[in-house]
Amino acid sequence: MLLLVLGWALASAPLSPAQEAQAQQIGRTIRCPVCQGLPITESTSDLSHQMMRELRSQVQQGRGADQIIQYFAARYGDTVLLNPPRRGINLLLWLAPLLALLLGGLWLLSYLRRPAGAAAPLPSTPGPDPDDEDPYLRQVRAVSSARKARDA
Amino acid sequence: MTTSNSTPTPAAPRPSSPLRRVLPPLIAAVLVVLLGLGLLRSNGQQEGGPLVGKAAPNFTLTTLDGGTLSLASLKGRPVVLNFWASWCVPCRSEAPLLRELSERQTAGGLAVVGVVFSDKDLKAVRQFVGEYGLAYPSLLDPKLDTAINYGVSGVPETFFVDPQGVVRGYDQGGLTRERLTAGLQTIGVKF
Repeated sequence: MLLLVLGWALASAPLSPAQEAQAQQIGRTIRCPVCQGLPITESTSDLSHQMMRELRSQVQQGRGADQIIQYFAARYGDTVLLNPPRRGINLLLWLAPLLALLLGGLWLLSYLRRPAGAAAPLPSTPGPDPDDEDPYLRQVRAVSSARKARDA
Repeated sequence: MTTSNSTPTPAAPRPSSPLRRVLPPLIAAVLVVLLGLGLLRSNGQQEGGPLVGKAAPNFTLTTLDGGTLSLASLKGRPVVLNFWASWCVPCRSEAPLLRELSERQTAGGLAVVGVVFSDKDLKAVRQFVGEYGLAYPSLLDPKLDTAINYGVSGVPETFFVDPQGVVRGYDQGGLTRERLTAGLQTIGVKF
């Protein structure tokens, strides 16, 4: 009974400015489950309002940010967190951009350090004249050179 | 007079190694596969919610008739806990199935319980219950405490709780006969 009364008293007492700031800070990291990427601090849905109420109540009880975030993640899964936890497959999310930057930087460095001749496009070697492949042209050239030889 | 042709012959282009040719499409393929897996994982039809395998959070809520019901009072019985709302279209599709299921309830056996989610229109709630003949308790959760405790984000959502009070199955998006049967199997109930 005493606990109930204490709980009611705690729930009905307003939060101090510091506690409210803490609640807002934590709330900004919790996604509204019925919205598209909105934190519960910005959503106008009933569910978000009630989640903020629950969050404030937990702040008032002295629970830490990690405990409160864990409370919501245990119920809604990690998808409720706007900052995905840095573990498991989520690590890929954090590390992939760094890895891409590193690999891109290495490639750029190797490209810039390449000798100028190697970097420049190679002069194209003259290939076989396509006209030489034409049998009719070959015949015309043969006749023409035969005539020149006869006239000379 | 002879002229020496000293023009250097250009070096032949180096043949690219097979690895260099294969690597870009390989990276692209891996990215596409990862993207596909990610999309499949976040698809609405979840096979297991975060609560599966954990103790079902207890609740004590009032019924539409003014009585009270707690989950603890149903311990020892398999429970189908369905969150619904009168404004929810898929809830209408699954309501006849839940009615059919509730007709198979026995004392000490299966219990079907509904929890009204984010629905302030009590007249519409009562009308829904009457329209589908839902002869099982529909509980009111005006502050959404129970919904938040169960991680409900959109109705309908159904939790299958075993006689020991552990969540064994979860369904979101509207039950079909197959999905209801599969959920019931997780708590040892045949349908």
